Amino acid sequence: MVENFAILPCNGLDKCAGVISRELAIRLSEQADNKIICPVFYRVSETKYNKLAAERPLFVIDGCQTRCASKLAAEKNLKIARRIIVADEAKNRHMELTDSLRITEREAALIDLLIHTLHEESWNHPAALTGSPGSTDRSEGLIDRLFDVGNKSDTDLRIPAEDLDASFDFDYETIQNGKFIFRIPKNRDIFFNENDCWARVSGNRARIGVTDYVQQNLSDILYFYPPEVGDEIDQFGELGTIESSKAVFELVSPFSGKVIAINEKLEKNPELINENPYELGWIAEIELTDPEGDKELLIGFEKYFEITKKKVEDANVK
Amino acid sequence: MSETTFMGVERSLIDWKPVIDYRKCDYCMECVRFCPHKVFEVREDEEIKLIIKNPHNCVVFCRACSKLCGPDALSFPDKNITTQRIKEIRKEMEGHG
Repeated sequence: MVENFAILPCNGLDKCAGVISRELAIRLSEQADNKIICPVFYRVSETKYNKLAAERPLFVIDGCQTRCASKLAAEKNLKIARRIIVADEAKNRHMELTDSLRITEREAALIDLLIHTLHEESWNHPAALTGSPGSTDRSEGLIDRLFDVGNKSDTDLRIPAEDLDASFDFDYETIQNGKFIFRIPKNRDIFFNENDCWARVSGNRARIGVTDYVQQNLSDILYFYPPEVGDEIDQFGELGTIESSKAVFELVSPFSGKVIAINEKLEKNPELINENPYELGWIAEIELTDPEGDKELLIGFEKYFEITKKKVEDANVK
Repeated sequence: MSETTFMGVERSLIDWKPVIDYRKCDYCMECVRFCPHKVFEVREDEEIKLIIKNPHNCVVFCRACSKLCGPDALSFPDKNITTQRIKEIRKEMEGHG
């Protein structure tokens, strides 16, 4: 079972997903040593929960995509160790949530399923109990999203033999607007799409990330929701999401291919994307399916620089 | 502030915009607050209080508003179909170029 977490749930009084979040939090706290942070009281008075939040990893249960609990965590400068969005979990299981604000049989079934999945995974993967990265295998489902990236074996996470880091140097051009500096790499093996994602190609692989334009606009990045290793991604398909307190950004993959690695450092330190989205803050690596075909719809440094300059001027980001 | 072209294609030729499911929308207006491109417009005094005012301001392939939508009331076209259409238009342009 999930243990030793501080649980910050959606309070759930106006949506079915919220009611489920609340009940799930209560069940998790009843079954193990987990402590609930009441979001309503926490908003008006931090004192009661400061110690708890400082001592335990934070498990956020959002009801719906509004992500009130995640936003509250951001307001309080809390780092989210684990998160679940109930509406997503229901959708993944093809369960439609109703308007009910009561836990009926239907809602109870989903809660049982979520709890059961947590228990089952925990029995198999004790390293997941405290949320600390272990060396267990990955499998599909809720637990993967709760306990995912760090649970992969070193073999799964290895960087391809021709270590991309070793051969990567970046030569930047910058655009400045007020205090904001937007770096854009000029290297010829880097391609961009018009959704502000970059890809650096090396043989039949590419490392992918977001540009400075994205990280500057999102401001402090708080959460990284990675793709799964092994996922087949279409060109312009979703390659994970990153979130700040301001917004959610979906990574639009410049290339099609299979995900072969993700940047596991981002799980615990998503702020690396803010520090440098091209180097330590890269997102994923993919094995390319159709690099030449995909390049037809991508742009190089000159064009991306021109587009970004115009966007910065238009948006007047200051 | 909208781009006039996307991937070299006139933006108005690309069908990419959110569609509002009014059966689900609860008019929380989170999408309006979020979208910096003024795609949405609020109509407080009308029965339908939220409309897609500027569809061509919507950044092609961006679905961020739908990811923030609590009642899951926003949907977008299929990305693959949109990509194919962009490729077709580009080919047509080459033919005319």
